[in-house]
Amino acid sequence: MALVAPLLELRGIGKSYGPVRALHGIDLAIGAREVIGLCGDNGAGKSTLIRILSGAERPSEGQLLAAGRPIEIRSPANALARGIATTYQDLALAARLPIVQNIFMGAELIRGPSLLGLLDHRRMRAEAATLLDRFGLGGIDLHRPVSDLSGGQRQAVAIARALRAKARVVIMDEPTAALGVAESRQVLDLIRRLRADGVTVLLVSHDMEDVMAVTTRVVILKKGHKAGEIETAGLSAARLGEMIMSGVVA
Amino acid sequence: MKPLIARYGTALAAVALFVVFAVTARNFLAVGNLIGIAKHVSPIAILGIGFALALIAAELDLSFANVCSLAAVATGTLVHRGHSPWLAAAAGLGVGIGFGLLNGLVVTRLKVPSLIATLAAAAIANGLAFMVTDGVSVVGRWPVAFTDLGRGEVLGIPALVWWMALVAAAALFWLKQTRGGFRLVCTGENVEAARLAGLPVQRLKVTGLVLSGAAAGLAAVLLTASLSSASATMAGDFLLTAIAAVMLGMTMFEPGHANIPGTMVGALTIGMLGNGLVLLGAPYYVQDVCLGFIIIGSVAVSASALTRAAFDV
Repeated sequence: MALVAPLLELRGIGKSYGPVRALHGIDLAIGAREVIGLCGDNGAGKSTLIRILSGAERPSEGQLLAAGRPIEIRSPANALARGIATTYQDLALAARLPIVQNIFMGAELIRGPSLLGLLDHRRMRAEAATLLDRFGLGGIDLHRPVSDLSGGQRQAVAIARALRAKARVVIMDEPTAALGVAESRQVLDLIRRLRADGVTVLLVSHDMEDVMAVTTRVVILKKGHKAGEIETAGLSAARLGEMIMSGVVA
Repeated sequence: MKPLIARYGTALAAVALFVVFAVTARNFLAVGNLIGIAKHVSPIAILGIGFALALIAAELDLSFANVCSLAAVATGTLVHRGHSPWLAAAAGLGVGIGFGLLNGLVVTRLKVPSLIATLAAAAIANGLAFMVTDGVSVVGRWPVAFTDLGRGEVLGIPALVWWMALVAAAALFWLKQTRGGFRLVCTGENVEAARLAGLPVQRLKVTGLVLSGAAAGLAAVLLTASLSSASATMAGDFLLTAIAAVMLGMTMFEPGHANIPGTMVGALTIGMLGNGLVLLGAPYYVQDVCLGFIIIGSVAVSASALTRAAFDV
């Protein structure tokens, strides 16, 4: 796998919680316009790894690099500032708040002097509508609370929030886990559109069919170690499932 | 139709109550009586707005009434001893803000649930107020420059009512039109989502509690100026009334959410209820019974927000 100037690179990333080692020496290069599947059984370390990349956890060892330069991701805000956004399994949305407020949470648009912090509601509505339009939700009432939306629509709101933050890497944690067939298809379409727009996606999923449908390569974790990585082209879902179970990637 | 009833049902019920009192209670509609109701509920509304701001950040402040009494005692004592009224007012506000900050730090740094932290702060404030006064009220003929803060009139409307309107307008503007208010709401609605979105959630929770303390300090200064007296128990009765105003407010405009217009209508409704019952000759304790029912009924409608505030750290 030849990657030129990876957007993000992990070198020997490890994480310990007291005596428990959740991750051991993970190496991974994430390039532009990729959709990478991150797979593994329960307890493989997928969640820990994405928490490190999203700034929710700090690694115990190893180095993170962006465009070849060492970086630290100290917090979720810091990750967003570095162009790394995460959509979580529970979507991390405030269900009772309106769509527009969820999209701009933490990245509000301001008018006038920054010190006053006056919200630019009109621009936020316009940008939210433009973002959602990319996912076929252009006409939606932006004042509707997120709790009124379907699972697929919520996923679109979560992704719109990531895009609004000008993310170059979007980490998606089990985006189709709670969705029906049609809504899952919508989400996979969203991922394809993200890639077409030049965004890199790191997809964590237990659904082999989904992984096969949208990823360009798959990284397999087993008990906190990286078992290996493999190109998706020419791979079958059944074979991928076997690799995840055995931890032997070939 | 259903969403409209959910949003405005309680406000319409308040209007209906107004009509009932207007028809049945003599002098209820007299301008002086209506202005009197607004004046009477002003400190309650200001305290309620403070409580609502803490609740919007998903924190409970049960110390505001005792903090208000302590701040009043601090203000009254300083004025009584001949210090500048401005220094006295600043001291009252400072006590409120200081206790708000203390509550905020105890909740966010020591991880004590706000339900417990603010109850403890209430006990501390109560003890300090008795320590300062020895249980004796501070009363005097104080400079007009000070008493006018609470007793003056502008355009025929009592100063207290103007203060209430000013505080409500400022709180509403801050919540709806500024980044700080926007973030406070997000934090209160889903603290984990707010944290993952990069918001400084601990600082925002401290802000909510500091604003509640500041409202208690301001109410204390206005009450002291209005009554030309201060005592260690002067705001004790406002605890339940102000909370009831907020709870009632959570059943309207933004159902389930503490909100400023709802708190204002809630405070005015409770004031109107008390006034109307007095005019109809009802015994004083009927008001307390009504207050209890208002709180139970309102909380039954808005239980989730309260549960979050009471039991989350």
